[in-house]
Amino acid sequence: MLFFNKIIYFYYREYKLNLSGFQDILTNIIFFFLSIFIFIFSIGPDKETISNIGLGIVWTLLLLSSTLSLRKFYQDDFESGNLLILHLNGFSFGFIAILKTLSHFFFVQVPFLISLPIASILLNIASDKLIYLFSSFAIGSLILSCLGSISSSMNLMNQKNFLLGSVIVMMLSIPVIIFSVGVINFEENFNSLINILFGILLIVFAINPWAGGLCLKLSLENS
Amino acid sequence: MDYVLNFHWKIVDLMFLINPNKFNQVADYIFRPILVLSILLFSLGLLFSFYISPNDYQQGSSVRIMYVHVPSAWLALLTYGIMTLYSIAALAFKIPFGFIFNTAVAPIGAIFTLICIISGSLWGKPMWGTWWVWDARLTSVAILFIIYLIIIFINLSFENRILREKIVAIFILVGSVNLPIIKFSVDWWNTLHQPATISKLSKPSIDPSMLTPLIIMTLAFMMIGLAIAILRIKTEIISRKSHLN
Repeated sequence: MLFFNKIIYFYYREYKLNLSGFQDILTNIIFFFLSIFIFIFSIGPDKETISNIGLGIVWTLLLLSSTLSLRKFYQDDFESGNLLILHLNGFSFGFIAILKTLSHFFFVQVPFLISLPIASILLNIASDKLIYLFSSFAIGSLILSCLGSISSSMNLMNQKNFLLGSVIVMMLSIPVIIFSVGVINFEENFNSLINILFGILLIVFAINPWAGGLCLKLSLENS
Repeated sequence: MDYVLNFHWKIVDLMFLINPNKFNQVADYIFRPILVLSILLFSLGLLFSFYISPNDYQQGSSVRIMYVHVPSAWLALLTYGIMTLYSIAALAFKIPFGFIFNTAVAPIGAIFTLICIISGSLWGKPMWGTWWVWDARLTSVAILFIIYLIIIFINLSFENRILREKIVAIFILVGSVNLPIIKFSVDWWNTLHQPATISKLSKPSIDPSMLTPLIIMTLAFMMIGLAIAILRIKTEIISRKSHLN
């Protein structure tokens, strides 16, 4: 079988898996909206305050709800042995990390794009700022996927303390939060901030196959 | 006198930096001098920083917090830098002493970072009027502390030692992105924290009467960190030899 066909079959399988487990993604989105409600209840329904801090809330909750689904990232494939089968089919571990990262981006993060306009209505964000939110989300969510790949591959053999993976993602994603909220709040230097965000994406995308692939290899060797 | 005359030529060899056996021999030789030196330097440094050095014309007596704050901050960074070098050595050249070093030294760096944060906020309350500011330098040092804690937690929560030490090394390499951010945060962003006073390229903008206790305290902190590190590394080597973990 051609290498390219293998990639297509890999994504077909991911699509099937995510379609059968679609309630997981929906639960993520429900978590996102419920957290927005809880935030607003705890702050109070003052329109001025909410529109000031709304973008920060959206980004924080996107980060938190993307850490919720970290368990699914490699763990299922690792336990069922599919990672080993993928490797035996000629994918290197680094390439598996890239493929899984992109699949996580397409099937878990992109559904949040639908929920962003609704969240912006709820949080009283001006509609002309929505384009900034979308562009920063498109880059930032891919960064979050890469970080999720790194941390969940680190924690494959960790039986005691799975929350460590979420902590690692949250710690590494601090620059993402800084610059992606800055993109929206300081529209006059939109270009420079989005370039910095894109630079972070390139760095993380380069680190991901190395760190993630090495951790996958180590976990499979020692399992 | 015998102790002085039997000079250990293995110190010159430098192989003790990557070989556990030679490290044990050299450590036995230099441990007591380092302990004595750290006690001497500490008493001298505290004497200098509390009695001999002058008050600042603006900050008064609270400038003396700097003699604890700055050395601990330097050593927190230095510890992480050495851990990064050892991680590269351990992963790339398969030198297991790097893993031993990482496991043993991470809590020391964490404690130095904690001392730095606490003394800084004790200084900040009378000077800036607040315990904590969301400033680039302060935030990045707080992240360094969290990185140290995560390293310790990874060490505690994995069962398999061979897997654990490699994952710790990978995490140290990923987290070392933070080091240049801490170093240059005062230059890149407009921060409340003052920029570096002592740099290699230019003449330091600190008076010699304050520079002397600072250097003595830095050496004292280095010596005491080295003494604890030697103890912890030796313990780690023993526990690995007897397959305790």
